[in-house]
Amino acid sequence: MTEDAAVAGAMRAYVEETAPVLALRLDARHRVAEANAEAHRVLGAHLPGRAFEELIVDFTRPRDVPALLRQEGVVHRLNVATTTGTPETIGFRFFPLTAGTLALGSLDFREQQSLREQVLGLNRELNNLTRQLHQANAELRELNQLKNQFLGMAAHDLRKPIGVIMTYGELVLDEAGKELAPPHREFLRTCLRAATGMRQVIDDFLDLSVIESGQLRLDAAAVSVAEILTGIEPMIRLLAEKKRVVLAVDAAEPARKLRVDAGKIEQVLLNLVGNAIEHSVASQHVELATRWEGPSLAVSVRDEGPGIGPGQQARLFKAFGRAGGKKTGGERSTGLGLTIARLIVEAHGGRIWVESPPGQGATFRFTLPGQR
Amino acid sequence: MNGASSPPFDREGAYRQYLEGLLTGNRQQCRDCFEQWLEATPDLLTIYEGLVMRALYEVGEQWEHGKISVATEHLATAISETLLNLTYPRLFARPRVGRSAVISCVANEYHQIGGRMVADLFEQHGWRGYFLGADTRVSEALALISEKRPEVVALSVSTVAGLPRLIEAATEIRRLFPNLPILAGGQVFRWSGREEVEQIPNVRCLAGLGELEAWIKGATPHD
Repeated sequence: MTEDAAVAGAMRAYVEETAPVLALRLDARHRVAEANAEAHRVLGAHLPGRAFEELIVDFTRPRDVPALLRQEGVVHRLNVATTTGTPETIGFRFFPLTAGTLALGSLDFREQQSLREQVLGLNRELNNLTRQLHQANAELRELNQLKNQFLGMAAHDLRKPIGVIMTYGELVLDEAGKELAPPHREFLRTCLRAATGMRQVIDDFLDLSVIESGQLRLDAAAVSVAEILTGIEPMIRLLAEKKRVVLAVDAAEPARKLRVDAGKIEQVLLNLVGNAIEHSVASQHVELATRWEGPSLAVSVRDEGPGIGPGQQARLFKAFGRAGGKKTGGERSTGLGLTIARLIVEAHGGRIWVESPPGQGATFRFTLPGQR
Repeated sequence: MNGASSPPFDREGAYRQYLEGLLTGNRQQCRDCFEQWLEATPDLLTIYEGLVMRALYEVGEQWEHGKISVATEHLATAISETLLNLTYPRLFARPRVGRSAVISCVANEYHQIGGRMVADLFEQHGWRGYFLGADTRVSEALALISEKRPEVVALSVSTVAGLPRLIEAATEIRRLFPNLPILAGGQVFRWSGREEVEQIPNVRCLAGLGELEAWIKGATPHD
């Protein structure tokens, strides 16, 4: 055997048994007459007799196989169905034989290498971004804690002097009010109204800082719906009367009890009903209703005010979201009330949300699980 | 008293399973083993040295001996690197000590897992470890150093070919931040480069994560 024949024999054996090259001998009708080991590994076991056209995946139009086979020396990028279930792009070259065609195909090594590098690079970037995200979240949590500490300290320190201002202001009004000229008495009342508003702001800050810093302690006890409503009814009736809003309270099975922190739930109800009244005008209706859904209590507060747009609804329960609509009596607030309400409801394992179809006012709803 | 008790953690068995998962590209198997280690110990150094580094060194050896392809070796690294993310919820929630480090791989250095482990180890000890990633230009590192004003910079390099770039980066950082300590680390220092790099003032080469942890502990203020 000559050296050339030995080389040709070795190369043929290598292609037939080992090389990552697809070698298909096609007959005159373009059917597979013979296939090497790699072709069987990639394309499947039952190759002999199959039309070459069947091996190619075409999404839009069938390939003109006879025309392809006539183009010698050109690398055709053809998609073939593989045993893994995913198509693979193989670069095929066709060589005419006396009776048929030899098709030799292989993967583009450089493309595969580039793809691998890209995927590895993307994986590295994704991991780094994941790390940065965790780190940034941790830093934001730290900043939020600092903010809560600051809010808590500032609010706590401001509460006492405001209390002193209000106490002595009321004392002066009570004891020396008659000696003051009417305009001066009104000045003093304006001071007291402003101080009351400021104390509400400070209370909101304190509540938020306490809840957000995870220091909210629920003093839970079994309490009836009637007891909770009794605690707030005088105050909400007074608010409604002041604005001549028609208030209705409707409780189903009021004697039934659930385990909650009554004081905190009263705070939520006062906030929701207070908001509803503040966004209403005279003669409009506000309804506070409770009903039982299995073991859970469902509460709703409905008003006939201007309602809340979809864009505002998303920000409504977020701190400093500034989503509150204009209050009809010019009342002022920090806008933290709904955030505090949400945090209190969530601390009870419940959920709070708003429904406000256009032109039909707003209904705030929350649920409280009965058995925890 | 609850009579049922879980079997003791089979550290070596979990390691073997992890290695097998890396070599066969079985991500879920690797994840399960990583989570077992994570549950068994809160100590990052133990997990990184005992599981991740040990497995990757063994993968590297198998590659050097022609038992696996470079693609398998790359996949093993990618799987391990992704699994480091599992430590983060706990790691970043740790109390801070008010110190920070900037960690960077030098230009053309694409092995970043070591640098990430270094950054994570700083986090474990309450430092902020800002990691710049693979193939980082000196200018990017300098920009982050200017922004974060860290107490230390750590540079990572894995191959001998990367040493000149590490020296270049360290020299530039030294020129602009004369008093900022620089730590240099990476696989290459197991064989060479240590003396050359340590000629730059206030640069120290560290042999591994254990030595790094000792350095961090020494530089961490205690109450």
